[in-house]
Amino acid sequence: MAIMMPAPDQAVLGRRDAIVAALRAIVPGEGVIDSAAEMMPYESDGLMAYRQPPMVVVLPDTTEQVSRVLKYCFEQGIKVVPRGSGTSLSGGALPLADGVLLGLGKFKRIREVDFDNRVVVTEPGVTNLAISQAVAHAGYYYAPDPSSQIACSIGGNVAENSGGVHCLKYGMTTNNVLGCEIVLITGEIIRVGGKSAETSGYDLMGIITGSEGLLGVITEVTVRILQKPETARALMVGFAQVEAAGECVARIIGAGIIPGGMEMMDKPAIHAAEAFVHAGYPLDVEALLIIELDGPAIEVDELIRRVESIALGCGSTTCQISTSETERNLFWAGRKAAFPAVGRISPDYLCMDGTIPRGKLPEALARIRDLSAKYELRCANVFHAGDGNLHPLILYDANKPGEMERAEAFGADILRACVELGGVLTGEHGVGIEKRDLMPEMFSEIDLNQQQRLKCAFDAQGLLNPGKVFPTLHRCAELGRMHVHGGKLAFPDLPRF
Amino acid sequence: MDTLKVRDARDVEDVVRAAIASEQPLEIVGHGSKRLIGQPMATNALLDLAALNAVTSYEPNELIITVQAGAPLADVRSLIDSRNQQFAFEPMDTAPLLGTANLGTIGGMIGAGLAGPRRIKAGGARDHLLGAHGVSGFGDSFKAGGRVVKNVTGYDLCKLLAGSWGTLAVMTEVTLKVMPRPESERTLVLRGLDDVAATRAMTAALGSPFDVSGAAHVPNSAFRAAGSGLGELGGRGEAVTLLRLEGITASAAHRAAALGKLLAPFGAADVLEDDASAAVWDSVRDVRPFAASGALAAWPVWRIVCPPASGGALGQALSRDTGGDVIYDWGGGLIWAALPPKPDAQAALVRQRVDAAGGHATLLRASDEVRRNVDVFHPQPSGLAALSERVRQSFDPKGIFNRGRMLRESGA
Repeated sequence: MAIMMPAPDQAVLGRRDAIVAALRAIVPGEGVIDSAAEMMPYESDGLMAYRQPPMVVVLPDTTEQVSRVLKYCFEQGIKVVPRGSGTSLSGGALPLADGVLLGLGKFKRIREVDFDNRVVVTEPGVTNLAISQAVAHAGYYYAPDPSSQIACSIGGNVAENSGGVHCLKYGMTTNNVLGCEIVLITGEIIRVGGKSAETSGYDLMGIITGSEGLLGVITEVTVRILQKPETARALMVGFAQVEAAGECVARIIGAGIIPGGMEMMDKPAIHAAEAFVHAGYPLDVEALLIIELDGPAIEVDELIRRVESIALGCGSTTCQISTSETERNLFWAGRKAAFPAVGRISPDYLCMDGTIPRGKLPEALARIRDLSAKYELRCANVFHAGDGNLHPLILYDANKPGEMERAEAFGADILRACVELGGVLTGEHGVGIEKRDLMPEMFSEIDLNQQQRLKCAFDAQGLLNPGKVFPTLHRCAELGRMHVHGGKLAFPDLPRF
Repeated sequence: MDTLKVRDARDVEDVVRAAIASEQPLEIVGHGSKRLIGQPMATNALLDLAALNAVTSYEPNELIITVQAGAPLADVRSLIDSRNQQFAFEPMDTAPLLGTANLGTIGGMIGAGLAGPRRIKAGGARDHLLGAHGVSGFGDSFKAGGRVVKNVTGYDLCKLLAGSWGTLAVMTEVTLKVMPRPESERTLVLRGLDDVAATRAMTAALGSPFDVSGAAHVPNSAFRAAGSGLGELGGRGEAVTLLRLEGITASAAHRAAALGKLLAPFGAADVLEDDASAAVWDSVRDVRPFAASGALAAWPVWRIVCPPASGGALGQALSRDTGGDVIYDWGGGLIWAALPPKPDAQAALVRQRVDAAGGHATLLRASDEVRRNVDVFHPQPSGLAALSERVRQSFDPKGIFNRGRMLRESGA
C-alpha cells in the first residue's frame, strides 16, 4: 500500500475483547460485528485498491446509541471511522486496524416530507435516489445526483459534498442541505440549521458538508427539494478537435446559458461507451458534448436553437437533438455507463477527479496525452465540462507488476497539472486517502494548519477518521500555539489618521 | 482611535501581528457601511482595507471574478454588469435601512452575507464565495478554497468566512462566482391578501415548476409611511404580494401567465415588466419601507429567518403583539420587523416567538444603547454556542478581530 496510515495502537488492540463487549452493551444483537468473515464487506469502499479490516464494526440504529458509542470511544481513546454506503471513490471510509468502523446503514428512515417548506428530513443511511423517489409523486426531486445515487447515502453525500451531472445549474450537496444533527466524538449531540434558509451564527453546516467524516457523525439531514423542470432536451454534438469542443463550452457559458448538464467525452471514452451501450455516438469525432437544457418547453426550444448555432460556429461536425425522452435518455446512456464501459476494455482502471478552469480544457487534455505516453498507460476522459471537472480514467492491469504504481503516479501527475492550470485536486470525490499526500501541491503548511485547527475545534484528540485528508497529523496543542512575531510595531511608515 | 490604512496584504499581516503582540483588538472596516450592525465593540484601532481595492482578475467565461476585499461593491457591480453578469445572491444594500452613505465593499458584502430576494433560488453569499485569501488571528496569511466553481479539496473554510462579520479573519482577496444576468423579468402583483393568505400564495408559487426567483409580501401597514420605496404600488394602501420570474423573455412571459393562472384563487394579478419589476425588487431587497429616511427611522428593525411556510403566522403575531410592521421576503422565510422603540427592542418577545417557529432573529438596526443591552445575534443552545466559540478560537484565539461583535460580553 502506497499510502501510510497511522500506526495501530497496540494497547487498544490488546483490549479488543473488552471493547467489543462494551460496544455490545450499547448496541445489542447483530449490531456489533467482530468476526473476520463478517467484517469483510467493510474492508474497503469504492476505492477498492485499498483494503483494511477494522478492529470491529458497529451498526447502531439510534442517535442515542451513536452518542454512547462515540462517548465510549472518546473516553477510551479509540479511533472511529464513520461509514455510509461505502461508495466513496477516495477511500474516505477505509477502516483502521485499531479503529471502530461506525456504519450508519441502519438509519434508513425518511423522517419527514414537508412540501410546504420544500424540505425532506431524513436519516443519513437513506440513499440519494430514495429521497427523490419519496417526493416524485408531487413533482419534486433532490437535485444533486452523483452517479452512484442508487447506492450512496445522503449522510455520505453530506460528508463528501457530492456533486453530479447537474451541479453546474443546481449546485453541489452544500448548496442543497439546510441542516443536520451531528454527534461529536465526545458523544455530544448538536443540531445545526433546520428548515430555514440560513443557520444562525457561523455557518457550521457549510464546514460539516465535505468534512469527510473528520468532524462528527451525521445522524439526520434536512435537504431542500425542487420541482422538476417542465421538460428537458439534450444535444449531442461532435467535434473534430478537442479544442473546438472546449471553445464551444466557453461560448455557451459566455452567452449567458447555464445548461442543466454539459458533459464531454474524448475519443477513447466515446468508443468504449458506444461499444457497451450502442447509444449511436459518432465514432469519427475527437470529442463529444452532451448538453442538456431544462425548463419550460418554450425556453428549452429557444436555448436549443441558440446552443446549436454556437456549436456550428465552433465547427461542430455532427449535431443531434433529442426529440423524445427515449432519445434523450439514450444520449445519456453512454455517458452514464462510461465507467463500466471502460471497465470492459481494461482489467482495472483508476478514476481521477480534478477541476480546472473551463478555458484550460484543451491544455489539460494535451498534458494528459503526454503523460499517457510517458507512463505507457491508456486514458479515457469524461468531463463535467460545464464546471471544468475532469474524470480521466486511467487503464491498467493490477496483475502486471508495477502497473498499479504507474497508474497512481500518472494520476498524481494529472492532479498536479490541474493545480498548475489554476484548478484543484478534487471536484467531487473528496481527498480521503487517495489525494491526501497531494494536499501540499495546493495548500501551504499554514493553510493546512488552519484547516486542522478547525478539526481541533470538533475533535481535539484526533480520534475521528484519522489518516484521511491531511498528510501530516499535528497535535492540537501544537497547532494552537501562538507565535508572537517580534512584538514591535512593524509598520512605522503606515499612514495613520 | 488609530486608523491603520493598509496598502497590501503584507501590511495586513504586519498590523495583525502587532495587534496580537500587544493584545489590542482591531475593528476591520472597508467603507464602514455596516459598522452600525452587531454588538458595539470595544476596539482601539481600525484596520482600514479601503485601499485594497483592485480587481485582480475577471473572467466572464469562467463565471468568476477575483477582487481585493476593499474593492467598492458599486464599482465591481458595474464591471460585471457591463458583461451582463451579476452576483446572483442579490447582496443587500444596507445604506437605506441604516442611513449610512454608501454601498460598502466586497469584503463587507461577504462578511455580512446579507442576501436578497433571489436567495430562495440562487443561494446566499456563502454559495458564491469560491476562494479567499486572508490573515488569521495567528498572524498568518492563509488561503481557503480555490478559483474554480467545483471544489471539495479540504474543509470549505469559505462557508465560515461568509457571514462571520469579520470575527474570524481579515479577508484580503476573494474569488466570487458570477452568473449571467437574466434577459428579462416579470413580477406578478396580487393585492389585498392578509399575511397568512399571502404566505399560502407564495408557498403555492414556490411549489410550482415555474422557477420563481422572488416571493415577497408587503402588508398594507407597511405603506403607512409615505415613500415606501415601492412607487405606485403602495399608492392604493393595499397589501401587495410579489412573485418574480426571470429568464429569456419568452420563458419569463410564459411562466408569468401560467403562474397567474395557478394563483387565480388568490385574485387577479397585475404584471410588472423588466425595469418596473427590477425597481420593486430593489426596494424589497433593501427594505425601503423601513428606511432611515422614512417615518420609522427610530424603530429598531429585526431580521428574522424562519421556515418559510410559517412566516405569515409568525409575522402576523409579531405585528399584532408589538404594534410593529413587517415585510416578508423569501416566500415567508425572511421577515423584516420594525417595532415601536423600547429599551430592549422587545427582544424577549421576538425571540420567544421566533424560537417557537424554529427560526432565528438578528437585531439589524438599533441604537448603540439598545444594542449594548440586547443580544444582536440569536442566542444559541449551549452546545452549539460552545462549538461555535471553539471554531472562532481556531481562527482567532486572542479575539483580535471585531471583538465582541457577535457575542455580548455579559452574555458570554
